Amino acid sequence: MASSLETIDLPHLPSLPVHVAVYQNVQNAAFLKSQLLAGQPEYEYAFIDASMVLSRAHVIAAVFRALNDYAHNRLKSHNVHSEIVFSLNPTNNIAESFRRFGISDSTQDLLVIKVSTSSEITHDTVAAHLSSAVEGTSVSFDDQTLFEFSDINKIKKSYKLGALPSPTKATDQVASKENVETKQRLENALLGAIALRGS
Amino acid sequence: MIAIGMEGSANKLGIGIMLHPKDGSPPQVLANIRHTYVSPPGEGFLPKDTARHHRSWVVKLVKQALKEARVSVADVDCICFTKGPGMGAPLQSVVVAARMLSLLWGKELVGVNHCVGHIEMGRLITGATNPVVLYVSGGNTQVIAYSSQRYRIFGETLDMAVGNCLDRFARTLHISNDPAPGYNIEQLAKQGKQLVDLPYVVKGMDCSFSGILAAIDGLAKEWGLGGEEKAKEDDAKSSETAAASESLEAKPTRADLCFSLQETVFSMLVEITERAMAHVGSKQVLIVGGVGSNERLQEMMGIMARDRGGSVYATDERFCIDNGIMIAQAGMLAYGTGFRTPLSESTCTQRFRTDEVFVKWRD
Amino acid sequence: MEEYKPPALPSPFNNTTPPPTLLTQGAEAHLYKTTSLNPSIPAALKIRPSKPYRHPILDRRLTRARITQEARCLAKLVREGVSVPALLALDWEGHGGEEGGWGGAWLMMEWIEGDVVRVALEKWEAWMKKASLDDEQTQAQEARVRALMRKMGAAIGALHKAGVVHGDLTTSNLMLRPVDENDTNEVGLDGDVVLIDFGLASQSAQDEDRAVDLYVLERAIASTHPRSEGLAEDLIIGYRDSYKGAPSALKRLEDVRLRGRKRSMLG
Repeated sequence: MASSLETIDLPHLPSLPVHVAVYQNVQNAAFLKSQLLAGQPEYEYAFIDASMVLSRAHVIAAVFRALNDYAHNRLKSHNVHSEIVFSLNPTNNIAESFRRFGISDSTQDLLVIKVSTSSEITHDTVAAHLSSAVEGTSVSFDDQTLFEFSDINKIKKSYKLGALPSPTKATDQVASKENVETKQRLENALLGAIALRGS
Repeated sequence: MIAIGMEGSANKLGIGIMLHPKDGSPPQVLANIRHTYVSPPGEGFLPKDTARHHRSWVVKLVKQALKEARVSVADVDCICFTKGPGMGAPLQSVVVAARMLSLLWGKELVGVNHCVGHIEMGRLITGATNPVVLYVSGGNTQVIAYSSQRYRIFGETLDMAVGNCLDRFARTLHISNDPAPGYNIEQLAKQGKQLVDLPYVVKGMDCSFSGILAAIDGLAKEWGLGGEEKAKEDDAKSSETAAASESLEAKPTRADLCFSLQETVFSMLVEITERAMAHVGSKQVLIVGGVGSNERLQEMMGIMARDRGGSVYATDERFCIDNGIMIAQAGMLAYGTGFRTPLSESTCTQRFRTDEVFVKWRD
Repeated sequence: MEEYKPPALPSPFNNTTPPPTLLTQGAEAHLYKTTSLNPSIPAALKIRPSKPYRHPILDRRLTRARITQEARCLAKLVREGVSVPALLALDWEGHGGEEGGWGGAWLMMEWIEGDVVRVALEKWEAWMKKASLDDEQTQAQEARVRALMRKMGAAIGALHKAGVVHGDLTTSNLMLRPVDENDTNEVGLDGDVVLIDFGLASQSAQDEDRAVDLYVLERAIASTHPRSEGLAEDLIIGYRDSYKGAPSALKRLEDVRLRGRKRSMLG
């Protein structure tokens, strides 16, 4: 299976490279979740249900928040990977954040994130492990793919943003100026919620 | 040129004599004497009592000042007096005395704005050329900067003056008014360790103190720290209370309350001063007024000014606290530009804003 | 006198390459330009440095309260669709740069391109001085400023409708985000009005607070743009129709104009 694992050096936090992969039609979500819950060190990832993310910026905002808290010894959860899942949540309830954003047995499309917290974790080691561990089709970590996978209503509900208009996925309107603006406004609202959690 | 300055807008009666040498060399203080009306602990000074105090002391002080300055009446060029702002009755006692001297000696009168007196004296003593001025006393709280012939008020209190807030809390704690309630709060605050949460009210360049006073009065009551009985304990066990307050979550002491009040209100003052400095692009700050002699306020202001690459100018109690020479100094500057106060206009007024004065003597 | 040196950047921005560039330094905050979380998109970084003159407990309490207040206002306005920079990231417990420990707080916002209205109006006023226009042309030019004033009024109306007051409205806190197509060689007065700098903003739906917002802006226009002062009545026209509560806020504005910014004042 060809891997399209992307490695990102976040601006301002270049010493912590972040590896991101997206899979569709994942077959072994229940297994991955069980490994995570069992605390298997090689399965220490942020496993995120891709239907709960809107865009790259949405994901990166949560990653940045978690990494900044990690860099300053302020993690609220177990490790930086669980913190990424928690950082997607607009409230301080960690268990709730996993129910909402984390992998579930029924997850089909999966976002996987791994942070190079030590020099042993590299693009190649992560790519090698994921290609054997995840049964699914690797796709690219881009806005279009994420938007297709996203469940806008569920996202809006989790962030209590029901009053905001929803961007459409209809092919004839998706690129319209109005729809782009609608999506941007929703994204901005998500970023604000992530930044403000716990304030 | 020699001027007598007469100040009595609050509970201090001050007579000063100032010389501006004809050769342009620096002005000299020839005499600076003061007598303060001190009210009993737990009480403020009332206008009628204060006015009586000024009336009974003014002649004595003028005579003493002339003697100390080694000048005769003939040497005096003008008589400067505080026109306002201040308390009505005490102001009146002094203006009556000034008028009497004017008629008796045939000298011209110069009515002076009290706040401008503080500013000009501060500039003279410290050498600050064009500072942002924080004027803090029992009756005033203003952030002032000079611009085109006026001392403009950039920020001020929206309710009570900061000195009034401190004085009234001193009354709650029955702290002595001798030599000044604020001075005694400052001494007690030095033993304070624990910071209690108080409201912090800054709006732009303005601030408010009444909510803070209500809150700290409430705390004093809640912890049973007010009143005469507790005041007697201060001397007895100051070391003991300091030790007790170091444990966490401890009941606050009287010292802790004084400390917290000072830390909070002084932070507000430094903040609005810094805002004004940023606004006008000044790096100098001058503190005047009675509260300006507080060393903790001076220290905080100094840290702020240093971080802005500037410096703070402050004076000691001789010049900070109301006095006669500041009135002589500001009066003489006006006198030098031809300003006179005719007898018929030699009144006083409780309300007299700093920015009403046309500052003809500056560019 | 020593050169003024801004305090060291809080972590992680002490590692940022290229380092953030300082744009403005106020009494409370320093504004930098840096990259957002996407390296190809710029962002504005507002830093509230620790104030060493204050008691550390009070300093943290105030710094945190203020930065989160500003961030909450921004986030709320984004949700309500008001034209403000989006909140991108926030740390109310920033760590000091090299020395470590407490270093103030920071807030990252969307970067808004364009001039502030003050600059746009200054350019226009300078251009008007040089251009020799007949009455008709002058009126056409003034109509452009009137249109801008109406847009400003509408933007402030949207702000107030969302339950936020700005607290420091001046022509320096309103930006003109240029529209894509710039086909004229006239001085740009078109574009979307974006409200910026919510450092003194608060959530309020009181007529008094709304009226003071408008009054402060009217005064700012009168003092910094004498030529535009007569055109500022369009600010009110733009505001009046922008939301239901506008007429009542405008009624209060009449009182505020008579008595000034403060409710009451003794000598």
